Amino acid sequence: MPFPPAVAWSLARRMLSEEDLERARQVKIADAGHGYDPFGLHRAFVALGLGIASPLYRRYFRVLSYGADKVPADGAAVLACNHSGTVPVDGMMLWVDVVLNTGRVPRPIADHFVPTLPWIGTLFARSGMVGGSRGNAKSLLKAGQVLMIFPEGVPGIGKPFAERYQLQKWRVGHCELAIRHGAPVVPVGIVGAEEQMPQIGRIDIPAFGLPYIPVPATPLPMPVRYHVHYGEPIPVHRDYTPDQADDPEVVLEAAARVKAAVQDLLDRGLEQRGGVFE
Amino acid sequence: MTAGPSPRGVLVTGATTPVGERLCRSLLADSSIEHVLAVGIEPPEHALPFSHGDRLVYRSVDLSRSRRVRNLLFGVVRDLGIECVVHLSMHRSAAQSGGRVHAQNVDALRSLLELSERHPTIRRFVFRSFAEVYNVSHDLPILVTEDHPLNMGVGAPQWIRDRVEADLTACARMGLSKLEILVLRCAEVLGPGTGSQLFDFLDAPVCLRPAGFNPMMNLLSMADAVHALELATRVKRGTIGVFNVPGKDTLPLAESIRKWGKPQIPTPGMVLTPIYRVRRRLRGHDFSYGMNRRRFHYASVLEGSRAHEVLGYLPEHPIDWPAA
Repeated sequence: MPFPPAVAWSLARRMLSEEDLERARQVKIADAGHGYDPFGLHRAFVALGLGIASPLYRRYFRVLSYGADKVPADGAAVLACNHSGTVPVDGMMLWVDVVLNTGRVPRPIADHFVPTLPWIGTLFARSGMVGGSRGNAKSLLKAGQVLMIFPEGVPGIGKPFAERYQLQKWRVGHCELAIRHGAPVVPVGIVGAEEQMPQIGRIDIPAFGLPYIPVPATPLPMPVRYHVHYGEPIPVHRDYTPDQADDPEVVLEAAARVKAAVQDLLDRGLEQRGGVFE
Repeated sequence: MTAGPSPRGVLVTGATTPVGERLCRSLLADSSIEHVLAVGIEPPEHALPFSHGDRLVYRSVDLSRSRRVRNLLFGVVRDLGIECVVHLSMHRSAAQSGGRVHAQNVDALRSLLELSERHPTIRRFVFRSFAEVYNVSHDLPILVTEDHPLNMGVGAPQWIRDRVEADLTACARMGLSKLEILVLRCAEVLGPGTGSQLFDFLDAPVCLRPAGFNPMMNLLSMADAVHALELATRVKRGTIGVFNVPGKDTLPLAESIRKWGKPQIPTPGMVLTPIYRVRRRLRGHDFSYGMNRRRFHYASVLEGSRAHEVLGYLPEHPIDWPAA
């Protein structure tokens, strides 16, 4: 970022309540000596991230959270979530939800192009995001961190409106990592985001580091209400041995369990909610 | 980790470099080492600024001449019963290139290795390699382990290519003879005369860095570099391998500029290459933005668990930042 942590703290103090500020001060990070962890995470930018995102979380999307206590209080875990909304605000809302409700900073695993985005890539890295290489995920799990993975990837964000709440091709890497490095997978279903910004088309021209230019029906995400549902952790780390992470059948089976759990959370979440904006 | 006995004698090439000088002093402080044979290109009267009686012997040798290397190893090295070679000699300036530079960087190492393998007293060869041999990219892991991809890009400058070639030359000989080869890939040592690109970058009155990017980097203090090399000279017998040597300081580029006490201006990346090229030509500086472009954009931090487990190395000494 173009400014040091002291400036980030100063900005965050203007944006956050004392309670939220204290939450940011208390988050655990593996300080490598200068206040940053080796991946670039810094408490000041967690506070700034909360300062930027919590008004959206509380007032705009009015997020309701269900079962955040299912995220393990300590140790490695993988949050596997549906992805949607044309712009990845769902990732931001899930990040805020986990920080506010568990005190842990989840590490979003982003597509490779995200670190190439000027300013955005750096701000995201300061608040916990890492590029989606297998090595990064492995290091973080070994360090006992919570990974935030969207197995649908970019196709999930860009899914047509008609396919909302239908999980796209479900990648299996999150289960391979969880089995190999001994982490449970917590399924997460986000209801609301899939209607926030219907995509009516896309221009398949890479621009500004993005894989394509989306054509949304609305210029901004609509103020839908988000419902974040956490499911029971799936103990893939106990159900399979680390060696089985090399078995494609096992990994596929585990990923299918996670996908089914996320779809179930979405289906039940849709039944429970009153309307898109309620 | 089990430490072995100190070697009877140690040959230090590149002994007149800052790291070499400090390593010689440190080795001499170990009374169980009978001789330290320091080798540099400088004539003896301009070489080491200290003496240590008979235990420190200095020889001026051009290591790019294989005949002279042979004379050194089968002369004074054999006579002193040197058991360990610490090879630090590497051309430091990125502004120079060509056959003579390559001879110093790669051919000298090849000669030393070949001769050490059939030498009657040498049993260990420690090669100080560089973190710059690793590739840095947005799609590669931030924490760099020893199996991280190397920078084999065809567009890489000779400064990088030579270091990669030398590193692989040493690695290729591992386990093929009785010689115990240890390659220490050290993080950048920030200090004058070390060949540090970042030091030369920070030496400017104003530091221009790419706007929008502020990558994490890891830097090594001189004291920790010397400590790691010293540990490698006395690790238990039979140890071979490649080891990352990270430093105590892991911080973003902008923070390092701030701690160095220099103003910084985020500047569009596309103009930095020509600006620093002009600075290099007009002011004779060594820093090349093109060579550092990727690590000025994407994070890359050495992971040192292998050095901790096998050598017993942990970084302990942070850099003495002027404006910290």
